[in-house]
Amino acid sequence: MLRLIASKDLREFIRDGRLPWAGGLVVLLLVTAAAVGWFQQTAVQAERSAGQALDYQAWLNQGARHPHTAADQGMNVFKPEPPLAVFDTGVQPYVGSTIWLQSHSQGEVKFRPAQDATGLQRFGALTPAWVLQVLAPLLIIILGFNAFASEREGGTLRQLLSMGVPTRRLLWGKALALAASVTLLLLPGALLVGGLAVASAPAGAAVDIIVRLAALGLGYGLYLSAAIFLVLAVSAICRTSRVALFSLLAIWIVGVLIAPKGISDLAVALHPTPSRIDFAKAVRDEENATSREVWLKNFGVETRWDPRVPLSKWGIALRVTDHNGYRVYDRQFGALWDTFERQQRFQEWAGLAAPVIAVRSLSMALSGTDFSQHRDFSKAAERQRRIIQEVVSDDLIKNADPLGNRHFSYRANPSLWAKVPEFQYPLPRIGFALARHWPSVAVLAATFLLSVALALAVVSRRLSV
Amino acid sequence: MNRMRTLRTVIRHELRTLIADRSLALVCALLVVLIGYAFYNGMAAAENRDRAVAAVLASERQAIESNLETLRRIQAGQQRPGPFANPANPATIGSGGAGRYAVVPTIGLAPVAIGQGDMIPNYYSIGYGSKVSFMYDSEIESPWNLLNGHFDLAFLIVFLLPFLVFSLSYNLLSSEREAGTLRMLLSQPLDLATLLTGKVVVRATAIIGIAAIFPIVLLLIFRPEARGAEQFAGAALWMALVTAYGLFWFALAFLVNALGRSSAFNALSLMACWTLIVLVVPVLLNLAVGVAEPAPSRTELTNRTLAIKAENLRRYDQLFHGDYNYVAKPDALLAKDGRIEMPPRTRATFLADRDMDANIDVLLKRFDDQLRAQQQLIDRLGPVSPAVIAYEGFSSLAGNSSRRYLAFKGQVDAFHDHWRAYFVPRILGGRAMNEAELRSLPRWTWRELPNQQTRGDAAWRVALLLTLTVLLLALGVVKLQRYKVA
Repeated sequence: MLRLIASKDLREFIRDGRLPWAGGLVVLLLVTAAAVGWFQQTAVQAERSAGQALDYQAWLNQGARHPHTAADQGMNVFKPEPPLAVFDTGVQPYVGSTIWLQSHSQGEVKFRPAQDATGLQRFGALTPAWVLQVLAPLLIIILGFNAFASEREGGTLRQLLSMGVPTRRLLWGKALALAASVTLLLLPGALLVGGLAVASAPAGAAVDIIVRLAALGLGYGLYLSAAIFLVLAVSAICRTSRVALFSLLAIWIVGVLIAPKGISDLAVALHPTPSRIDFAKAVRDEENATSREVWLKNFGVETRWDPRVPLSKWGIALRVTDHNGYRVYDRQFGALWDTFERQQRFQEWAGLAAPVIAVRSLSMALSGTDFSQHRDFSKAAERQRRIIQEVVSDDLIKNADPLGNRHFSYRANPSLWAKVPEFQYPLPRIGFALARHWPSVAVLAATFLLSVALALAVVSRRLSV
Repeated sequence: MNRMRTLRTVIRHELRTLIADRSLALVCALLVVLIGYAFYNGMAAAENRDRAVAAVLASERQAIESNLETLRRIQAGQQRPGPFANPANPATIGSGGAGRYAVVPTIGLAPVAIGQGDMIPNYYSIGYGSKVSFMYDSEIESPWNLLNGHFDLAFLIVFLLPFLVFSLSYNLLSSEREAGTLRMLLSQPLDLATLLTGKVVVRATAIIGIAAIFPIVLLLIFRPEARGAEQFAGAALWMALVTAYGLFWFALAFLVNALGRSSAFNALSLMACWTLIVLVVPVLLNLAVGVAEPAPSRTELTNRTLAIKAENLRRYDQLFHGDYNYVAKPDALLAKDGRIEMPPRTRATFLADRDMDANIDVLLKRFDDQLRAQQQLIDRLGPVSPAVIAYEGFSSLAGNSSRRYLAFKGQVDAFHDHWRAYFVPRILGGRAMNEAELRSLPRWTWRELPNQQTRGDAAWRVALLLTLTVLLLALGVVKLQRYKVA
């Protein structure tokens, strides 16, 4: 009987054109998004690994020169594109991909793609994830808003109930019809994305990608299933299909369009982001305050690079200053990033009110494009910078400081450069994402259970004919 | 004449009905609340930017004073100059010690659209260092806020206003027909077009009136900068743009009602149009623009920058390996007879930065050109989505468009060149800075985009939207001829 109910609904979706038209659009967008994303990503990835190798070669081929000059040249490191970025670009357009590792200060990741784009970017980037998060629930509403309401209007609901069809079975049948249509539409796109991601995965990462895809399937499955049961519940409560449609659209607008903005505003109000000017000032102030102490202790002077510090101490002075800087940067950048993570944590729990936030945050995490993974890369890049600085100051202390006032006439042996290893950044495994984002899974599961419970309660108690 | 009187009767009747069933009041109240929230957000963003400008200008004044003070103390022998902190040294002053900033002010209308204002900084710290060291900065903003976008007036009007329009007008004729009252109405001396027009006019006046006027009232109350006569034209154009955009959606509702289908069909088709026009077309357009006019590769830029840097380090290798002699000769740090010793490494750094910009300019220009090309393409293709027309118009009237920020970057670039040119003879010739020079360093002035351009652009957008509106209405009138009442 379940199959009978479902196939009747399915046939109706097809017959009245809703499934082919609305569904066709969704499929088209999904495939376009995946294809374009894949082409762009492949090009970017190839360029980045070539670029990084090029800079490292330039580093190795510096010849005999003063190590400080070498550190001034530095090198660029590039964030590798996670294979699933083709599915969900996450915060990537807004955080950048490149860090120049230079002497003296911790670099920031530059080149946010959004800065090279026009204001149109703000309408949203067409990615498969966007289609699933924003359009798929709308598709479910269009297909399901009159699931119960039209049976009531057409008088068939009375008939069905009089024949003794259990209302719960009716609910399951209709849910099955909706789930089948959604799966039918989304599966080809999902397989395409999955195939592309596995194909472009670095060696040995295929299993990781497949597990990620399965987890994404679970996350979106819970999200869209919750949408299905919510739609059916509303359709069962509302007396007419018109009221059902309007209520559902209102829920969609509030839940998908307004809530993410409102909640991220709230997150920022609770955990304010400093302005660039305040942040730069905080770093500078702390650096000045602490370096005063350090220079006083080590060299007996109050200001950095006081002329009384002889050039024979510049190697050690560089190291002392660097080490002081590390502490300051760790604390200041750490605090800034903690703020971002606290904003994120708040949003995750707020996902209970608007599941799209929970699924968005889980989806980014599983695709490797969320803020935590950006932070992880930034930290790895800073570690590499510190390796360079240590190699440089080590050599200066050993070889330049003994030269006294002829500090800068020193030229290091070109073999020194090879002491800095090539920058390697293996993308974090799925465990990294899950350890940080399990609340989103919990929130999605809770939402799903709540919506099933709501739908069951409605059909068994309030299904008026 | 007779028809006008009928129209007035329809309007009066319709108004009475809407007031009685409270739906209009409810939608208007919702709109007022949403406008309040959106305005608050826009206002907060504009104030943040204003605060940033005020803070950098204050720190600039402070830097001038502190440099003068230090110079006096050094001249009086009360303080020893540092090798990298000496106001008499043009290298200290030119490379950032002057605390010079280039800023772009917000305009009176800024709160109506945040636009690109949350990402692109409205100030840069100016030194003679290469532009690759400061022009890539961006504002610190939570990545979630950037990703989710802000709830500002532009969002409210572009995305949500259409829904309010639909909720009031999806069933103007169908509900009368479904309730059986349409036949009765048409037995009076009344034609369909007048009836439909009357119904639309009442709703449009209320909704568009609030959406266009209330934000400007808030603006005049809470933002003194918006009160000048200068700002009036901008505010008027903003209201015209809101009105034209609102009319477009009412015209669409008019057309859909004129098709003579059921209320459910009307609601679904309006929803489908909204999805296409507001959600799908803009993201497709964004994608298309990115594919047709792709941004040049930042990776390549990065690699080229490093290659040029390496080349410069090699070119000035001898200078970079020259030593500081102030330890043996402490007087070397002091200015004498208007001259000061320039250590070879200082000269080397200056020259390397100069050469960097000479080489990198061509590459950087490609990015700005490309962004300009993307913008032009959007302006050309914009008419496919009224949402894009309106959104871009709002950003531009608010002074938060890509175009204005590109202009800002262009002017900063020119000022940076000017700043460096000022220091060339001083660094290379070893001329010390004196008090008068410290007071009269090159100053930044922002030249606003020509008003005619912004206003002309907005007026064109209004005209475009009105044209689309008229087309829809005309089509609606044609369809009404074939309306089946029964």
